[in-house]
This record gives sequence, structure tokens and C-alpha cells, in this order.
Amino acid sequence: MTFAAQDYKSELKPIWCPGCGDFGVVQAIYRALAEINRPPHEIAFVSGIGCSSRIPGYTTAYGFNSVHGRALPIAQGIKLARPELLVLVAGGDGDGFSIGGGHVAHAVRRNIDLTYIVMDNQIYGLTKGQLSPTSRRGERTVTSVEGSLEDPVNPLSYVLGYGGRFVAQGTPADLNGLTDLIVAGIRYPGFAFINVQSPCITYGRADSQLKAQKAGLTPLTSLGHDGSDRLRAMDLASEYGRALYTGVFYRDADPPPTYETLIAERQRAMAMPEGSRERILDMFVPH
Amino acid sequence: MTTDLVIGMAGAGGDGVIAAGEAIMTAAARGGYLAMMTKSYGPQIRGGESSFKLRLATEPIFNAGGTLDIAIALNWDDFLRFGAELPVDGRTTVIYDSASGLTTSQLPLAGVLPVDAVAVPIGEMARASAGTSAAKNTVVLGLLAAWLGVPEEGLLAGVRKRFAKKSPEILAGNERAFAAGVAFATTHQLHVSRLMQRPSPPPAPRLLADGNEMCAAAAIVAGCEFFGGYPITPSTEIMQFLGREIWRYGGTILQAEDEIAGIGAVVGASFAGRKSMTATSGPGMSLKSEMLGLATIAELPLVCVNVQRGGPSTGIPTKSEQSDLFQAAFSAHGDVVRPVLAPVSVADTFRMTVEAFNIAEQFQTPVILLSDGEIAQRKEVVDPVNAQAITILHRRRPNERELENYSRFQLTESGVSPISQPGMEHGNYLASGIEHNERGAPTASGEMHARMNDKRIRKLAPLKARRDLFTIEGDSDAPIGLVSWGSVSGVASEAAALARSEGIRLKLLVPRLLYPVSEEIYEEFFASVRAGLVVEQSHLGQLYRLIRMYVDVPRGLELLARSGSNPISPHEVLDRVRHIVMTFQRDRVPDAEPMAG
Repeated sequence: MTFAAQDYKSELKPIWCPGCGDFGVVQAIYRALAEINRPPHEIAFVSGIGCSSRIPGYTTAYGFNSVHGRALPIAQGIKLARPELLVLVAGGDGDGFSIGGGHVAHAVRRNIDLTYIVMDNQIYGLTKGQLSPTSRRGERTVTSVEGSLEDPVNPLSYVLGYGGRFVAQGTPADLNGLTDLIVAGIRYPGFAFINVQSPCITYGRADSQLKAQKAGLTPLTSLGHDGSDRLRAMDLASEYGRALYTGVFYRDADPPPTYETLIAERQRAMAMPEGSRERILDMFVPH
Repeated sequence: MTTDLVIGMAGAGGDGVIAAGEAIMTAAARGGYLAMMTKSYGPQIRGGESSFKLRLATEPIFNAGGTLDIAIALNWDDFLRFGAELPVDGRTTVIYDSASGLTTSQLPLAGVLPVDAVAVPIGEMARASAGTSAAKNTVVLGLLAAWLGVPEEGLLAGVRKRFAKKSPEILAGNERAFAAGVAFATTHQLHVSRLMQRPSPPPAPRLLADGNEMCAAAAIVAGCEFFGGYPITPSTEIMQFLGREIWRYGGTILQAEDEIAGIGAVVGASFAGRKSMTATSGPGMSLKSEMLGLATIAELPLVCVNVQRGGPSTGIPTKSEQSDLFQAAFSAHGDVVRPVLAPVSVADTFRMTVEAFNIAEQFQTPVILLSDGEIAQRKEVVDPVNAQAITILHRRRPNERELENYSRFQLTESGVSPISQPGMEHGNYLASGIEHNERGAPTASGEMHARMNDKRIRKLAPLKARRDLFTIEGDSDAPIGLVSWGSVSGVASEAAALARSEGIRLKLLVPRLLYPVSEEIYEEFFASVRAGLVVEQSHLGQLYRLIRMYVDVPRGLELLARSGSNPISPHEVLDRVRHIVMTFQRDRVPDAEPMAG
């Protein structure tokens, strides 16, 4: 049986503002899933809290719209418990790089086969326009009326710095390109990170909107970068906030086995026959 | 002949004090005795002084005992460092190394003249027989074998087990050290005989375990397939045990980056359909509150073990306390009821852990298992458990009909709705921390919110009728009532037996289910009670206050509560009970019913 993009679309109507970048992201996810063609019930889609974290509910997958910043730990639990599932994780920049920032490093280093899509809009939209961890220095928001005094987090460098093996950036301004990145991330045998420049139409900067992005984006391939050179990837990633590069920054062509593969090997090597659970107390009989 | 002895021993790091205690426990388990052992260490991470306190009996015992009957000091500096943990009084027999040079009248026991003191050249005997001071502990085992009349074979088994992987010479040396101890004790009678009755051998082999081991093993029996957690004293051994064993049963553990991620992964694994558990102590519980709330509203089963220690904040990590009951019951925003269970002993930890999984699965809820440092770290001789006979419950899955147009959070009469899991066709739904309707779609409807709150709380009502989660000792119409929980209930139980032997008409209630509060069971218990006492190890007396929140208690109900690390003894409870009885008799109105019957 084959599935079309429409088969991954649920009946729920998004709460997003008209013109929000997240509409494009969810479209790209429908299309990518159709290309992967796993039945919706074999997919678990986990998110945290924020505008973008509503996204699992707009798909027909098993969704989990959890709590702020904790999508990654929950997704890891799902994947370790049921490695055969396709597990997607999504959230905003605040979810991933502020309140949940501590979890990212550990998801990366464990190399669990998850695809993590961050919808990065440099603003807190759901709570109506406060500073986010990726807001620019000097940004004026309702919590930084005189301008932000901090440098932003660079999500691309962050994940590359912790040893990320698949790091990409896309935008709904290039829907086909974004779809391809999500497909490549899902197919990547390990932790894949895709930063999506998904603008906030209500509180975001004018120069971050889709039209401006379309005019200003630079595909990494046009720079002759094919994603195999990690050092060049780090160089290019450092331009985050200045240039809008799209495509694969880095893809480790020879990753180690995933965490869940190693678990399965250990379980096979140590497996006890059926009915052994009930005999575990025997080990406490002193001899 | 005696039937019940409390032995305490202390020495320097490397003296093998704990190993000696473990050898006695092994001999006890094999020989048909019942025994409990608590260990204590100095504050050093490695190599400091250590001690054990061991209660050896021929009849069931419920607490680790009070004053020592036998105190063994390999050196006095180390012994005295343990202070109140190794209490000595005029009834104690003191055994110490004569290398200290002290005569029996010079012992550094301020204000205490022990009934008997024996200087034994322990170090000298070890060197002469085994060629090393390291065999001092084995000499002591030989002394105890003869003075207590504990079968030598059982004690030697413990010694042999310890040296199984060492050279034959080391083992032979220790066997000689043991024989030297036996020979010394045979020729030196104690003033007060400590010979113990020989118990009959157990019908089936008994187990030797601590509470954390029993908790982890019970999780395996209950079908736990996922553990996520973060190391924290005094719960870590649960993760260590499962980290060793769970793979054999197709399970996985994740040592997470923090307490939140540990329980977060557990929430995920449960959503994915696996029975899952985390374990922590107070500071970790503080961090886990967020995920417990999520599991409550998403109606996901999980077991969260809290091995209580002294708090607040870092508090006293190595000392047991019962001060996390409020936290277990109430640390949540929103209207939340989550079941809280507390085991009373090592053996009971097994039963309550299985129960925690069953309740979690049956009602699709997080369950807090409120253990404490005392039970978790205490080794006990435990009666064998027939694990095959234990009922194991599983969450209710939707059938084919329910999967047509599936409603994950269907408002059923019981409040429990069939739960699907990823991979189940037509069972797709959105789990969420946001309020949702029956289909799982987010909602801001006040009416739906009220109905869902009611569903989530209503579904737990049958728990309150679980009389098997409460034990009552004594006559049902007794006018004096004791209530106690967790490890301290063993102290209350012994005090209750002593009080009854004095003719005091008293009964004891020990709840294993602490929350939700079963009004009916407490009201029934208190119906005949005119005066009484709640006994617990916290400053506030958290169970006492929790009960009063839900139940009209008798006016004469008092509280005996003290912060952790200050053990409550059965005799202290008994003294309070006597006082309560006297006050009640003096103050009673003329038409009150007679106290004694």
C-alpha cells in the first residue's frame, strides 16, 4: 500500500496565524512522509510546547504534544522502547535551545535514530513576542524594549560542536528543498538535525519573512559544499544570522551503529529463555 | 537461651567489618534465623571506618533493634565515631581488641558500665593464625560462632564465599583464624550467656537482599522493560541492578543526563507501550514533578520510586527520613491525585513494587513508591516468594470495535479508557499535556476540562477500598490506636506487641496506600479509638497531618514524630502509649467506657 501526502494530514485545523512559516513546514513533512511511505500508525511524532509544537496534532501519526523543552527525552524513550518505529521530533527555538537546550547535546552523542526538526523563528510567538534564544543582539521585543544584550545561540554550530552527524538547514520558502532535507534526515541512520527558518508573521522581523528569504537564500551546493567536509561545515555554520544557507552542512557518511542497534545486540547476547523473569529471586539465595 | 540478639561492630577501613556482617547474614539465612543488618560508613568516599548493626532472631522481627546486646570494637576511635548508631548500655556485652591496652574498667563509654567486657587479642590471633591483621574479622566470626552457638558451617560458608577467588593459602589462613576464635571463646565463658536457640531449618531456602534489590527484582517480575534515571543516594542501586539484569529480559536502561530526562524517557517508553520505571530520592523528585503531571494528564502508566532521605534540598543523603509524603501526594500543579504506596520492610518492598506496576497499569497513572533509606539499604533475611503465583496486570488495550473511530480518552463509567500504542493500526491519537477532548484533540473548553479532571480522579476511587493495602493488628474494638507507616511501622508494631503484653488494649493501623486517603478505612479504624498516637520519622508528622485533612480523627490522637537520623525505639513508643493511657484514664468522663476489658 502506498500513502499520499494527504494521508498524513489530520482533521485538526492549525492554530497558526495566516502566513506563518509553519504551514510550509507541515506541508514539507506530509510530502516527506509520503516519500518515505511508512503507514501513519508506525510513526511517532513528539514535540514540546510552542506554536510549532502543535505540529504532531496536524498529522495522522501517533502524536505526543508534551511539555516545554522535553520533546527529546520523551522521543528517545519511545525509540529505545520501540526501535522499529519512525520517530520524529519537532519544536521551536525556545523549546530546543533555551528551556530544553541541555537535552540536545545528549541526544546528539547517543546517536539514537531520530529526526529533530527545529522551527526557528527567533521569537516567542505563542506568548506574544518575547525574546528567544536565537533573537539577534539588539533585537527589540516586549521583554527587551531597549534591545537584547545577548548574542543568540547558533543552533547549527551548537549541534555540530557536540558531534552532530547530520546537520542541515532549510526553509519553507524552498518547499522542495525542505522536503528533500526531511527525507534525507529520516533516511539518515542516526540522529539528524534540521534547522528550519520558519518565520513568525506576527512578531517576526520583516527581513525574515518568506519573501525576503526566497530572495536571499544561498543553497550550500551553489558554494560547492556537498556536506562531507566537517570543518568547512563549521565555518559555514558560523554565518548563521548573517547568511541564509540552505542544504546539508554536514553528513557523516560512515556513522557508528545507532544506540538502539547496540542495545538490540546486547539484548540478543544476554537473552534468557521465556519464563525467566519469575526466577530472578533465585539469585538472592545465599550459597 | 536467647531468641533475639542485636550485634554491633565497628572498625577501620580494611578491617572487613561489613564482610563479617555479611557472613553472619549468610549463616542466618541458611540456618533458619531471621535477621536484619544496617551498615554505616564514615563520610570518606573510600577507605574510612565502617560499622554494622545486626539483629539476629529465631522469630520474625520488624525493625533493626535498639541497644546492642553485643558490641564489638576492633578499635575504640572508630567504634565511638558511630555514636548513637551503636548504642551501648548496662545490658551490653562488650568485646574489644586487647591491643588497645585498656582494662575492662577503663573503657571509653562515658557513664555506662556494661554488664560484661571481654578483652580479646583479636589482632594478635589473626596474625598468629593467618599471618595477617586482615583476618581480624574472621577471628570475630569464630568468637561469635562459639558464644552464640550459631552453626560454624554457615559462618564458614560466608568466609569461603568471600575468598573463593583468592589463593588457597588465604582461605586456609582464614579458616585457621576462625578456629582460633572458636577456641578462645570455648575457653572464655561470658558472664551473661549469649547462647541462642537453634531455629528449625526453613522449609524452603530463604533469600538475602536489601530493599533496593527487592524493588529492582520486583520490577523485572512485574514486566518492567524500560528504566530511565539518574544516580542519586540512596536509590542508585535500583538503577545499578537493572543496568546489570534488564537486558536479559529484553529491556533497556538509560542513564539520562538529568532527572527530568530520566523520567521523560520513561514517559516516552510508556507511551510506546512498555512498562517503565524510574527511581530517585527527594531532590530528584523535585525535578520530576513536571513529568509526573504530564503522565497524569496523558494517562500514561509509570512507576516512580522515591527512596526518601533527609531533606529539604541536599539535606542528609545517607540518613533515612519520612518527610517526602507531602511532596509525593501534592507536588503538582492542577487538580492531581496520584497513588502513593509505601513498603514497610525489605520483603514488603517486593510486594509493593509489583503492586505499584499493577496499579499504574490498571488505572493508567503514575504511581509513587515511597521507600526510605532504612529499608532500601537494609539487608534482610526474606521468606521465599512464589513469583509464579503473583498476579501481573496489563493496561487495557482497545478491541477491534473500540478501534473503529477510536477515542483515546473516552469518558467511560469507570474513568479508565482503552489505551492504544504506536504500531496499532487505527489507534493513532495525540497524547498531550494540554487539556484534550475524548479524541485527544486540544481543547480550552471549561466543561471538557471539568469532565476530564473528574475522569482522571474518579478512576482511582476503587483504590480506596483496597483493604489489602492496609494492615490492622490487635482487637478491632481497642480504645487505643497506633498508626505508622514505612520502615518506622516495624518499630510501632513491636511497641504494640509490648503494650498488649502489658494488658493495654491497643491496635495498630499500617497503611501501604498513603494517597488517595481512604476515608472509610481510617474512619472504621478510629471508630473505637479514644486516644492514640501516629508514629513517623519527620519533623512535621506528615501522615498525621494528611489523615487529618481527610478524616475526623479522635481528639486524643497524638503525634510522635522526629526528623530522620534520630531513630525512634519501640520502648520510646511504649512509654508514650503508657502516658496516653494514664492521661486518658485520669481525664475520662464518668460515663466513658472502661479502658481495659
